Amino acid sequence: MTILRTFRTLFAAGLILFVAGVAMAQDRPRVVAVNYPLQYFAERLLGDAAEVVFPVPADVDPSFWRPSISDVSMIQSADLILLNGAGFAAWVDRVSLPRSKLVNTSDAIEEQFIVTESMTHSHGDGGEHSHEALASYTWLDPTLATSQADAIAAAIVSRGLASQDQVDARLEILREDFQALDTQAATALGALEGTDIIATHPRYQYLARRYDLTIASLEWEAGAMPTDAEIADLQALVDETGARILLWEADPPDAAFEITAALGLKNVVFAPLAHGVEGHSYFESFTDALSEMAEAGVP
Amino acid sequence: MNALYLAFAYLRYHWARSLVLTLVAALILFVPVATQILLSTSERALVARGDATPLLLGSRGSQLDLTMAALYFSDERPDPVPMHEVETIWDSGLGIPIPVHTAFSSSGFRIVGTTLDYFDFRDLTASEGRGLSMLGDAVIGADVAETLGKGVGDTLVSSPENLFDLDGVYPLEMPIVGILAPSNSPDDQAIFVDIKTAWVIQGIGHGHEDVVTAAEVAAGSEAVANAAVVQYQRITDENIESFHFHGNQDDFPASAVIVVPNDTRSGTILKGRYLDSENPTQLIEPAGVIQGLVDRIFRIRSLLDVVTTIIAVAALAAIGLAIFLSYRLRAREIATAVKLGARRGMVLRLLSAETITLLSLSGIIAGLGAAIVSRNADAWVSWLLALGS
Repeated sequence: MTILRTFRTLFAAGLILFVAGVAMAQDRPRVVAVNYPLQYFAERLLGDAAEVVFPVPADVDPSFWRPSISDVSMIQSADLILLNGAGFAAWVDRVSLPRSKLVNTSDAIEEQFIVTESMTHSHGDGGEHSHEALASYTWLDPTLATSQADAIAAAIVSRGLASQDQVDARLEILREDFQALDTQAATALGALEGTDIIATHPRYQYLARRYDLTIASLEWEAGAMPTDAEIADLQALVDETGARILLWEADPPDAAFEITAALGLKNVVFAPLAHGVEGHSYFESFTDALSEMAEAGVP
Repeated sequence: MNALYLAFAYLRYHWARSLVLTLVAALILFVPVATQILLSTSERALVARGDATPLLLGSRGSQLDLTMAALYFSDERPDPVPMHEVETIWDSGLGIPIPVHTAFSSSGFRIVGTTLDYFDFRDLTASEGRGLSMLGDAVIGADVAETLGKGVGDTLVSSPENLFDLDGVYPLEMPIVGILAPSNSPDDQAIFVDIKTAWVIQGIGHGHEDVVTAAEVAAGSEAVANAAVVQYQRITDENIESFHFHGNQDDFPASAVIVVPNDTRSGTILKGRYLDSENPTQLIEPAGVIQGLVDRIFRIRSLLDVVTTIIAVAALAAIGLAIFLSYRLRAREIATAVKLGARRGMVLRLLSAETITLLSLSGIIAGLGAAIVSRNADAWVSWLLALGS
């Protein structure tokens, strides 16, 4: 009898907790981020105060994602939409989003953007006009990432998603982490000054500028086996630059590593973190990549 | 009771004359009442739109043109205001700026390019379909749907700015994705698109065949393509990726910017920032502009009241005369009634009952008419105001 009563009490308590949990989950504000770093920074700053969503599927490049109508509807209903700026996620120009919820986290660092290419053309009798492209992976420079985190913190407070005190305290810790990462990167990559590096994709412009690295870029598909033509291009680039390190966005097939190693290159997988790495945070992934690069730089 | 019965029998016997007298009297009562209802509703509707729009930012110039273009989507074309003014308001943190771009039209209805904040601000919801999601989507007002007989899944094509503009703005075909619930406001007469879609119509943004090769991108070299690149006139799933904008969005145009200040203090601070007459932009209170316009328009109301009164007096006199003459014509009939034993009071009661019955019927008809006008006044006034624009 006593056991039954205890069971009932426990069941009732569990039910109340479950209902409360469901209600809380429904009541929590929602923040949408256009890439993993922004999602991570927002989660660090918000704690449990809001749900932070990064809606791009893992197998899709967030820069070129095409949201469906239901995706757009979900994003429109968010309380805050975090944009990276610098031309990242061009899809935001092709959908309707409420301006009152948008925050461009790189507004304050526009002066520091890197212009990567320009293209000029004309339409009919119209005058010529140019397209300018910007390097987008701003978060690979910890100092720029700090500014982006500052912008997120300000947006969270101004929209009342968390208290000023809590956000300030969390931002302080986050800033310390960025500072530590910057110091670690400067130490790890300092030895690579003067060493030519080739990247399989042009993702590392801000990293290169911050730490005085010389990185030439190819246009290989992430994680794919390079074609013979691509290997020939790589060979030509190695001959031209004398590069010793090859940066990969994602792990390619083992055979690819063997081919590039045969060209005298040390392979380093440096995830550019537009998507998170399973089981690793932004800082952990960044730190791991730095260690790999430093190791590769040892003759 | 007997007098009423006899009066009603008499009126029924002379039904044609009774009908004419009843209708004329009903009209005399109805016209001034209906006019007053419509005028009051118009005044309320005009002022309400202004009152519901706290502040309006636009290029310095005619405040009336700016207000009419931004609130009533009229044909006025105020000078465009650059979008960096919108960002300035955002950065101030003093209010929410909502740009409206009203330069284009389709099938006789104004295309209003704006942001999703406009729908929240005006409390507009879709009665069919969905809201704006993708570049090129159009959501139409209830009157547009009814007049054009279009619904969700149909398309609209933007009109060129003028017939001779062969090399300028390309018409853009836009799918209708939603129909707004009626709001008895100019929003019922508008075609809403994202402001970026309005920029595509304007030619600032466009999609076209790819002119950059992967090799050129890889080399990071500057590619030059002077070929006449084919532009798309319809945004589809297949070509939406190719749509892009030229230049800095901060320099892109809007017709006006509705500004919703956080509070009275914020509104005052904002107004203070645009007082300088050298500033190319102005921040106005549309309620004041509309009130001035309404005051001017409704000065005619007093004149109308006088005219109505004179006509009513003349018509009442005519009815009185008609009744008097009919009594004269009935002199022999009345004399016969007296000879049959009817007293003078009885005859008077009979005639009074006839007159009261006539006027009562007229009053009931006029009252019913006024009730119908009153019930539909909002819709009719909205339609009349839209005709005006």
